[in-house]
Amino acid sequence: MLRVVEAMGRGVGGMLSEVGAIGLFVIKTISVALTTLPNLRRFADECYSIGIQSLFVVCSVGAFIGMSTALVGFATLQDLGAQNLVGIFIGIATVRELGPAVAAFMVAAKAGSGMAAHIATMRVKEQIDAMEVQAVNPFWYLIVPRFLAIMVVLPILVIWNDFFMLGTGYLIAVLQLKVNRGAVMQNLLDTISTDDFTKGMIKGWVLAVFIVSICTYKGYTCEPGALGVGKATNQAVVYCIAILIIINFFLSEWLYGGIGLRGM
Amino acid sequence: MTDTNGFRAYEKDEPIVQVRNLSKSFGSLRVLKDMTCDILAGHTTVFLGPSGTGKSVFIKHIVGLLKPDAGELMVMGRNVPTLKEGELYQLRKHLGLAFQLGALFDSLNVFDNVSFPLVHHTNMRRKNVEARVAEVLELVGLPGTEHKLTTELSTGEQKRVGLARALSMNPPIVLFDEPTTGLDPILCTTIDELILKLKTELGRTFIVISHDIEGTWKMADYVGVLYQGKLLKYGKNEDVRHGDDIFLKQFFGRTENGPMIGV
Repeated sequence: MLRVVEAMGRGVGGMLSEVGAIGLFVIKTISVALTTLPNLRRFADECYSIGIQSLFVVCSVGAFIGMSTALVGFATLQDLGAQNLVGIFIGIATVRELGPAVAAFMVAAKAGSGMAAHIATMRVKEQIDAMEVQAVNPFWYLIVPRFLAIMVVLPILVIWNDFFMLGTGYLIAVLQLKVNRGAVMQNLLDTISTDDFTKGMIKGWVLAVFIVSICTYKGYTCEPGALGVGKATNQAVVYCIAILIIINFFLSEWLYGGIGLRGM
Repeated sequence: MTDTNGFRAYEKDEPIVQVRNLSKSFGSLRVLKDMTCDILAGHTTVFLGPSGTGKSVFIKHIVGLLKPDAGELMVMGRNVPTLKEGELYQLRKHLGLAFQLGALFDSLNVFDNVSFPLVHHTNMRRKNVEARVAEVLELVGLPGTEHKLTTELSTGEQKRVGLARALSMNPPIVLFDEPTTGLDPILCTTIDELILKLKTELGRTFIVISHDIEGTWKMADYVGVLYQGKLLKYGKNEDVRHGDDIFLKQFFGRTENGPMIGV
């Protein structure tokens, strides 16, 4: 019993020290971002790498989740005899919850793992040391552009993903489930406001900060060898997904807190 | 005469790097023990020793990648361990380090690698940068390789591009971390001769970490022998080479019989 408590204590202690280390890492990144002019070329490269290269995977997954949402919503509402209201279900589920979450998960999986692996490999192959020795701050060159890029790109991907999910959900509702197209469209328009899209972007922005902080930190502090790179990448993605789920809950609570649903 | 950051030019034979009682441990492992020496400007100084005796750790202290537990390390008049980040970056503009495995940025081609410090620290026009890159690539025997990806290069070529990058800013101190490790004998000779040629042509201070004994006798003006973190012997090439220390005789004779234990 004592051993279990000890092990748990060590685990919690280790986790808290890692959270502290990530906090210091972010503070250093912010201080570099505020005291030096950003590297615009690297920023543009990262926007392309995170945005364009994640676009396909985000939209593909978003499209199928939009379709699933329509099917699940229809089945649930059919039991209540309210299947014509499936547009409401699609609108709320996708724009308020699934759009930002799915975009963030996919960016974490695609771009986040790429960031962690790239930075970790640079660390292991002494490329970060080489950068330091050439008097170029690796935070300025490697970390800050990724921070700025993901904070710009992820909210845009969220909106893009929202429209994909809404579109595919609408098509399934109308073409497969044979719900009246006017009713679906009207329900969507009545349910979703620009405020919802703005809140989705806020969610995307906050989740972006967590993704980039965890992934760049894990890459930067990678242990030596190929095993270290693998471990850093694996931990980056696992931690990201776990933390995104938790943070997303608190964001939903903060942004909607049941008020949105009551207002329906 | 000093530059805008207060760095002055060093005359030949002036101590450009001064090491005093430098010590470093990783956990319970003492890697450097009370190391003391002066490295003189305009000369090639080679630090020799078996693997795992703290040679690379020492070079990382000179460029400020590691901080010692105790001791002083003055490089061009700056006490490296006490420098703030900005001051350290200023000092590093005067140092060039050729890494053991090149440490080239594999997302960039040869030109972008070699021009990296020039692009970030000078206001040179693109044409001048291109000319300088071509010049240093010529110097290391790799002319016309600007557009090659670093992954297309052999190990020896990667090392030479790493050296070209280290030379691109024309720094007064150039450091080499095991320049010939892992290379075939012909390439080893090529690299040794390259360092000799650079010394003759550029007249810079070269600090070389090596365990290649033959190469050391060819290129070194001064030799330091490290063993288990201690500087066993430090002096002029001939003095060290013909010294009668039992450790040195074993190391230079490449024999297992003696007090030195391989790591």
